[in-house]
Amino acid sequence: MRGKDFSVEQAAGTLESLYEKYRGEKGAVIPLLQDVQEEFGYLPEEAVNWIADRLEVPRSFFFGVATFYAQFHLAPRGKNIITACSGTACHVKGSERIINFIKRDLGLTDKQETTEDMGFTLEKVNCVGVCSISPVVIINKKVHGKAAPAKILKEIKLLKKKK
Amino acid sequence: MSDNVKLTIDGKEVQVSEGTYIIDAAEAAGIHIPNLCYLKGMKAVGACRLCLVEVEGGKGPVIACNAKVKDGMVVSTNTERIQEARRFVIDLIVSMHPLDCMTCTKAGVCALQKYAYDLEVAESSFTRKQFGYEPDTANSFIKRDPEYCILCSKCVRVCKEQGTNVLEFMGRGVGAKVITADDKPLQESGCTFCGSCVDACPVNALLDADRWRKGREWEYENVKSACLLCGNGCDITVGTKDGKIQKISAGQAEGSAEKYICAYGRFGFDCIEAETRLTAPMKKVSGKLKETTWADALGIVAENLKKAGKDAGFISVAGIQNEDALALKALAKIVKTKNYDTTMSLYADAETLVNSQAADIDSADLIILAGLAPSQWERVLPQLDATVRRRAARGAKLVVINSSEARISEAATINLIGDEAASLKAVLKAAIGKGLKADKKLADAVKDATVTEEAEQAGEMFAGAASPVIFASPSLFDAAANLSLAKGSAVAVPAESNAKGVALMGLTTGGTTYKEMASGALKALYAVGEVPLSKRPKVDFLVVQNSHLTELAGQADVVLPSATFLESAGTMIDYLGRLKYLPKAIEPQGEAKAHKDIFIQLAKAMGGTIKKPTEAEVKKAAKVKAKTSLKPFEAKKGFDVSPGEIIESVNASVISGSRLIMLKEMAAATAGK
Repeated sequence: MRGKDFSVEQAAGTLESLYEKYRGEKGAVIPLLQDVQEEFGYLPEEAVNWIADRLEVPRSFFFGVATFYAQFHLAPRGKNIITACSGTACHVKGSERIINFIKRDLGLTDKQETTEDMGFTLEKVNCVGVCSISPVVIINKKVHGKAAPAKILKEIKLLKKKK
Repeated sequence: MSDNVKLTIDGKEVQVSEGTYIIDAAEAAGIHIPNLCYLKGMKAVGACRLCLVEVEGGKGPVIACNAKVKDGMVVSTNTERIQEARRFVIDLIVSMHPLDCMTCTKAGVCALQKYAYDLEVAESSFTRKQFGYEPDTANSFIKRDPEYCILCSKCVRVCKEQGTNVLEFMGRGVGAKVITADDKPLQESGCTFCGSCVDACPVNALLDADRWRKGREWEYENVKSACLLCGNGCDITVGTKDGKIQKISAGQAEGSAEKYICAYGRFGFDCIEAETRLTAPMKKVSGKLKETTWADALGIVAENLKKAGKDAGFISVAGIQNEDALALKALAKIVKTKNYDTTMSLYADAETLVNSQAADIDSADLIILAGLAPSQWERVLPQLDATVRRRAARGAKLVVINSSEARISEAATINLIGDEAASLKAVLKAAIGKGLKADKKLADAVKDATVTEEAEQAGEMFAGAASPVIFASPSLFDAAANLSLAKGSAVAVPAESNAKGVALMGLTTGGTTYKEMASGALKALYAVGEVPLSKRPKVDFLVVQNSHLTELAGQADVVLPSATFLESAGTMIDYLGRLKYLPKAIEPQGEAKAHKDIFIQLAKAMGGTIKKPTEAEVKKAAKVKAKTSLKPFEAKKGFDVSPGEIIESVNASVISGSRLIMLKEMAAATAGK
């Protein structure tokens, strides 16, 4: 059920069980959204609306929470997630150059985060907290410190082959 | 609460009650503390950092919107240091705000412009930052332009507090944006287009959609009036320019739970110039309506009324002004008939409305709704819905008593579903059990009630409340009023704006009823206003006096063009018993005349005289003391027309003759999805 083809009819059972899991609990909006994201790879608009309606909480409220935190994604994401840090230290160490190399390699336009074939998602974050090994790129949860364009592109090449 | 805290603000001694915020204390002393995000009556959020003040002995400046007064406090609101801090705030906001004040519609009433002027910020010292967010111009009611937004969150908070819950913030920090769920355009978001956000917006981010090139507000003449479109009779402010209405906004006091008007009240004024608007009298000539002169039309009507005499009857809507009602009664006397009645008789009896009590919603700590299903979304007494939700959001308890679940139930602390009169009885019994003082007669009357667990809880709330208010449908008023014998006040909520006024003016039949007349019991029928009648009853002669050409008017023998409530000066009495003044905001279109003026001239044509009803006469008629006595816990029968039906039909021309028609199209589009 990951990726683009989300259908709320098909997901109703899963959503219902997530709803049951947190039912009656106060302050469970974030864990609930995390579970939804875990399940579908992102937060499908219809899934969020379904839960808001089920809980009789305004849809806008859920949307506000989902957009406030960087951890939530409202668009489908690629199979591989590349997180490039562009915090102060990484920026000084040339993160922008690395990001441009990755974009060119994946054929991403300026506003695009995910490749057409849903293979890769590239996202920028503002500091991952390991400035000592900047610039940092995280590929599928593996941290690559003192990253150089060539090294990162090699990793991407391996991932491309994999699928 | 007594004014027991003394403090000094800018050298001025101020005495206010405990718990007052510095910003309100200053306002009371005539000192304005600059702010962009403060909403009186609501919990402060401290988003704008503009209301900073210095308190002697304090570590640093505090925000006046969220700091309470203390005895002996010495506050300075305008020191060098404070001005510097405020200038910095404005400097930052201006760095993200378009500097097009010369063409901006909000110029003159823009809070940002005012403070930038006061603090001499012509341009920002920071790099300009724009996010390029697109405006939402897809509906005819509200224009949203995020480029102008200063993120004060007033619109979001107002929308949430009144329970509409459409607006929210997306993202965070400077890049945040006010959006609807999924960032959809307003018409797809469940928005009701009440425009509360427009009234709240301090800048040009939210605006009536049609304001472009319709003048700045300093060019407007603003008159305080009241809306006559439904039973809430909301206060409105009407902005006019060049003899035309340009804008209507909510007129209630800042901070009141009642500060709300619906889309009908705000945008329905377009109907004044609708295609169906009647601008000249008409008479039927060989089966077709032709325009004629007032003298001719009145002559025909006078002759026919004389001929019919006691077989003539008047039916009217209850949304007419008090003066119209008095003049109509006087005219009936000249015609020598006692057959005059209004649509009020479809949903209430006069006695109920006369005895309905006054209440202060703003200080109610418990609200009980009995047999009422107000809804902002369906525009059934929308202001009552918003007000009740707002009071609940501010801490009041809400008990909803209904035969089935209504949308307002979602805001309730306790829902009692079932027979309403029995529920009221049970609540009273439970309350007496919890120590509520009641005389023996009252206690005996509720002895046999069955008390459910919910009723037990509601009873406990009622026993513990300081100033409960019970709003009831007119048919349940007697049962609700029984509770008020022990405590609080009971209010009957009619569907039409001036139903209470009409009842107090005595425009209730002494002969045939509205229903009988509408089904053709008489020889001549005179219909006033947009009566809910589309087919001509079997009568020899039919006069329709209305502002718009309705289906019924099309079948009339004579049609008399009347002024809308915005074009006629008079008074009304709202459901809370408040006498409200409606000045003439604009001149009537064409040859249309106020109802009362038509009655006066008609009397003249019949050889009689009616004196123009005066305010003193209205006040005298309204001076009936509400009486409450123990009545059976039963719903009155025969008043089964729902408020929604009445509101929709008496406003049919307002809706179809204005941009409100779009609401129907939008509703149809969403339903089709």
